[in-house]
Amino acid sequence: MKNVLLVGAPNSGKSALFNRLTGLQHKVANYPGITIDVGSGALRSDTRAQVWDFPGTYSLNAISGEEEVAIDALRSALADERPAVVAMVLDATRLEKGLTYCLQVAREAARSKKPFLVLLNMMDILEHNELALDLDGLRASLGVPVLPVSARTGNGVEAAEAALLNASAAQSPWADTPDALIEGSAQQIADRFVPQGELLVRRQAKIDSWLLGTASGGVAFVVIMTLFFQAIFTWSAPLMDGVEAFILGLGAWLVPLVPEGIFADFFEDAVFGGLGAFLVFVPQIFVLTLIIGALEDSGYLARAALICHRPLSYFGLSGKSFVPLLSGVACAIPAIYAARTMSSRQERLMTYVAIPLMPCSARLPVYALLITVLIPDTTAFGGLLGWQGLVMSGIYFFGIVSALLVASVASRLGESESRKQAFILELPAYRTPNILPIIHASVNRAGHFIQKAGSIIFTVTVVVWFLGYFPNGGEDLSASWLAVLGTWIQPVFEPLGLDWRYGVAILASFLAREVFVGTLGTIFGIENADDDPAPLAERITESGLTAASGAALVVFFTIALQCVSTVALLARESKSTGFAMRLLLSYLVLAWIAAFAVHGLVSLF
Amino acid sequence: MSLWSLSVGASASVSSVTGGTGNAAAQRLIDIGFRKGQTVSCLLQPGFGAPRVFALGNATYSLDKETADLVILTDDRPS
Ligand SMILES: Nc1nc2c(ncn2[C@@H]2O[C@H](COP(=O)(O)OP(=O)(O)OP(=O)(O)O)[C@@H](O)[C@H]2O)c(=O)[nH]1
Ligand SMILES: [Mg+2]
Repeated sequence: MKNVLLVGAPNSGKSALFNRLTGLQHKVANYPGITIDVGSGALRSDTRAQVWDFPGTYSLNAISGEEEVAIDALRSALADERPAVVAMVLDATRLEKGLTYCLQVAREAARSKKPFLVLLNMMDILEHNELALDLDGLRASLGVPVLPVSARTGNGVEAAEAALLNASAAQSPWADTPDALIEGSAQQIADRFVPQGELLVRRQAKIDSWLLGTASGGVAFVVIMTLFFQAIFTWSAPLMDGVEAFILGLGAWLVPLVPEGIFADFFEDAVFGGLGAFLVFVPQIFVLTLIIGALEDSGYLARAALICHRPLSYFGLSGKSFVPLLSGVACAIPAIYAARTMSSRQERLMTYVAIPLMPCSARLPVYALLITVLIPDTTAFGGLLGWQGLVMSGIYFFGIVSALLVASVASRLGESESRKQAFILELPAYRTPNILPIIHASVNRAGHFIQKAGSIIFTVTVVVWFLGYFPNGGEDLSASWLAVLGTWIQPVFEPLGLDWRYGVAILASFLAREVFVGTLGTIFGIENADDDPAPLAERITESGLTAASGAALVVFFTIALQCVSTVALLARESKSTGFAMRLLLSYLVLAWIAAFAVHGLVSLF
Repeated sequence: MSLWSLSVGASASVSSVTGGTGNAAAQRLIDIGFRKGQTVSCLLQPGFGAPRVFALGNATYSLDKETADLVILTDDRPS
């Protein structure tokens, strides 16, 4: 078996090439530092060869823990006895940025007697702009094979595959070159072979002068972010309606087929009441991932990070926190992973503190349900805006503001790192987003969500249904085991004006927030078993949830860290279980206090 | 003068990167090509103290003030 190691500077197209070579779908995006783990897959044309996709690094001198991990992984792969070929991926349009690293790795490869070659990627862009590059000259100067490829079009990939399979260690001119000479040589090669004309830089600068201009940049940022949030709600609305109609139709068709009795009850209350209530929100997650992916691949998110650097640094964060925080609007899990690109541990911890407060999509079902119950479906400002939509935006805004405020307080309390971390961010070229892989990734994310959340929600609804249905066969919910459990936790939620049914649902939602909706669906389903199947919101309204308690619930959900996966991942990524536990506890206490305050305040009116 | 004081559209050549060998930011600047003799230009200065955009050959980087101040330029020649 042979290993192919794909290494190179960030954003040079390693993952795109990896996907070409293996047929897999690793995440590709136009933002430096997307790949965070070494991943592998079999070469498509010869499955005996294993291809490895490395995180991008600018040099063998790591400046953060994560880079060190990637570099150590490369070193141990080189030290390994088994045959391996090192493929250095260089971005032909930005040749200079990868050359130092290229020569450093060429030297290491030569020392461990591993063949080394260069895959000169993004050749399609050079061709498209009629920019020439002296390939033979470059080969001669580097003293290693250089293969022109384009991961976008697939040109040259076949030849590259053959070269990778047949590569053998040759005499390398770099085996004994000292560090100082490596830098100088990289410089000389760059000076000689980098495509001249600054055509690419100038085009990019023209767009940047708009998107980063003092006034126009701010306006563009606000417009893009407004469209972003609008799209999450308006674009996904028809999809959500479709899913809802489908589930209702399926229920109406299937439920009568099941013979009456315990199975029919279970089917209707737990499966359609619980699981169906949450599946409606899957389209939103899809749309959200799609838009973030498109923004990322266009190159804009790197600009947004730059724009936000100063404002975020007031809150103890950095411009590099922007992408993690924005991803947090979808889900805390990818957000926590995205924070790996931040080199300063202090800033990363502060980003971790802020992420759980970002209004993630798991909260959306909860907010949507409560808004339907509490806010009349009427319009404001002469029919221009709906009150329900306005309140939803308000809740989102509240979440984001509290995330920033908490980060700011935490960074002032925490151990202060003497020197502020440097901000160095490569600005990628603008590109038309490559839409197919983005759609693919969004479908994956939605599927993953259904799988992961679906199995948790299913288990919880089954347990809740079981506890609520017995010991009296669903006759009297208030005499069920569930009600007994509810009375134990009653004292905690009574001050918020919430009865035991909400207490149980909140308790269950610490597994994952969206479980709240499914659990309530099951509980109210059992309780109203004799009624026509009515939407959950209607049943809650009938049960008489007060405005004060509803508001308290919303506030509780914006702050509390109710998500087992987030806590587990925080513990792992911060390498501190104590940190994750402290966050969990503090947010719980804070959420309860804020909910209590809001309950008292709203009760006054 | 430092890279931060380069005006928009101007370019100059790098004289040195200060900060010493222990400085991670300085090391990274050198690794990505901010080296003696290299020509850098300032492409953009967004307002409100935001990081500025610099071009080094065909690659572009945004650096905040503290980082750009590590790069010392020799002279200012109009491009
Ligand atoms: N036009 C063009 N774009 C490409 C090519 N290869 C990659 N890209 C784009 O370049 C960007 C970066 O690609 P990735 O594959 O994510 O780069 P990477 O080297 O894996 O980046 P990191 O994981 O961040 O180190 C994406 O927007 C790709 O679509 C190519 O050959 N031509
Ligand atoms: Mg990658």
